[in-house]
Amino acid sequence: MRPLTIMAPTRRTLLQSATLFAVPLFLAAPAAAAANVAESFVDDNIHKGLDILRDKRLTTIQRRDQFETLLLGLVDVRRIALFTLGQYRRTAPPEDVDAFVNAFKNYAAAAYQSYFAKYTNQTLKVSGSTQRSDTDFIVQTLLVDPSSNQQPAEVDFRVRTDTGKPVLVDVAYQGIWLSLEQRDQFVAFLGQNNGNVRTLIAHLSELAVNLAKPT
Amino acid sequence: MAGLCGLALAGCATAPASPEALAANDPYEQTNRDTLKLNGKIDRYFVIPTVGLYFLLVPEGGRRGVHNFLGNLSLPTIFVNDMLQGEFSRAGKSMWRLVINTTVGIAGFWDPASKIGIPGHGEDFGQTLAVWGVKEGPYLVLPFFGPSNPRDATGFLVDTAMDPTNQIPIKQHLWWSAGREYFTLLDLRGQTYQTVQGIQRSSVDYYSSLRNFYRQFRNEQIRNGRIQTQDLPDF
Repeated sequence: MRPLTIMAPTRRTLLQSATLFAVPLFLAAPAAAAANVAESFVDDNIHKGLDILRDKRLTTIQRRDQFETLLLGLVDVRRIALFTLGQYRRTAPPEDVDAFVNAFKNYAAAAYQSYFAKYTNQTLKVSGSTQRSDTDFIVQTLLVDPSSNQQPAEVDFRVRTDTGKPVLVDVAYQGIWLSLEQRDQFVAFLGQNNGNVRTLIAHLSELAVNLAKPT
Repeated sequence: MAGLCGLALAGCATAPASPEALAANDPYEQTNRDTLKLNGKIDRYFVIPTVGLYFLLVPEGGRRGVHNFLGNLSLPTIFVNDMLQGEFSRAGKSMWRLVINTTVGIAGFWDPASKIGIPGHGEDFGQTLAVWGVKEGPYLVLPFFGPSNPRDATGFLVDTAMDPTNQIPIKQHLWWSAGREYFTLLDLRGQTYQTVQGIQRSSVDYYSSLRNFYRQFRNEQIRNGRIQTQDLPDF
């Protein structure tokens, strides 16, 4: 029986092996870079947002305006708004859809500010990210309350990069995604109002005004 | 239980379910909305004033002690459910928490286990049924208890039956059980007061908002926080 021998590697086999191992690394490199872009995007901008909300030198109106400007630059409002309309997006007249997107923008700005204002004394730290597709990332963060001994809360941000620059499309607190919750609400509301998007627009506008008022 | 709930609600339902309600797996929506209104009244006129009194009379340290004590009482049930789900590592943590907090933590009023790196986690028989593949069934809003479904309602009954503290003889058991439920309510409502108020304030439709929160929250609990991003819808 012929004994098993370990063949000495030739220069060619070494080169082939090196190429074989290197290919996945090259393929993985852009994905890792894209994930880093998403993570940096969240890290930089969430801190900017919290800094605005914490800044005691700003008046209420200045704080609201600055936060809204920052938020609307980061969030793909139209995409989220169309998603939250559910099946009614297909049947609503285009002018109503545009008016809804505008009303949703004001509502979202007021609602996000109301949510984040509760966490101004806490710190947010990026803990990693998951890639759903080449242009779809979930950036995981931990919200730590220094004054509490409770476990940090998990806050996830969904970032899309398919438009050439990163944009925020959703946020989840402890696994509860905001846009899913909004879509359920809006679809239920439209179901009770004969699918009339204008009724929803009026209701959203009213809510945005109420949310902007100090509690 | 699931069948009983379904039959009872079918009897109560007066109007046929809307297409949106059926799509949302909520065939008893109108009955559920009425029950939510009733629960809202109970909350407004009884629970919230009592919680206010509790916050006024019991300082924060005392409330934290009550919270820890109630959490410690749930640990045997959590341990059993950890085991039934095959989550042996988590079962070990539940067991250690029970031992450490009951002894060093003096009957569970303190939580030294968290300080040494054994944080608490929740588990219940509703989650165990989900892990075993039982579907949730239609959405329900139960009087006093709030959002649920046949699977979680069944789980609640099983958890209550398997709880060792419920083996106390019947006369004392009634007082014990009522007191425990009452303080659980105070503790839970005290902790969620601001969150619920925020949801009510920003909701277009509070009922469907609560329904969605409940479902997402339960799914997160069933997954034990493990992210399943592939289930998310495409934008």
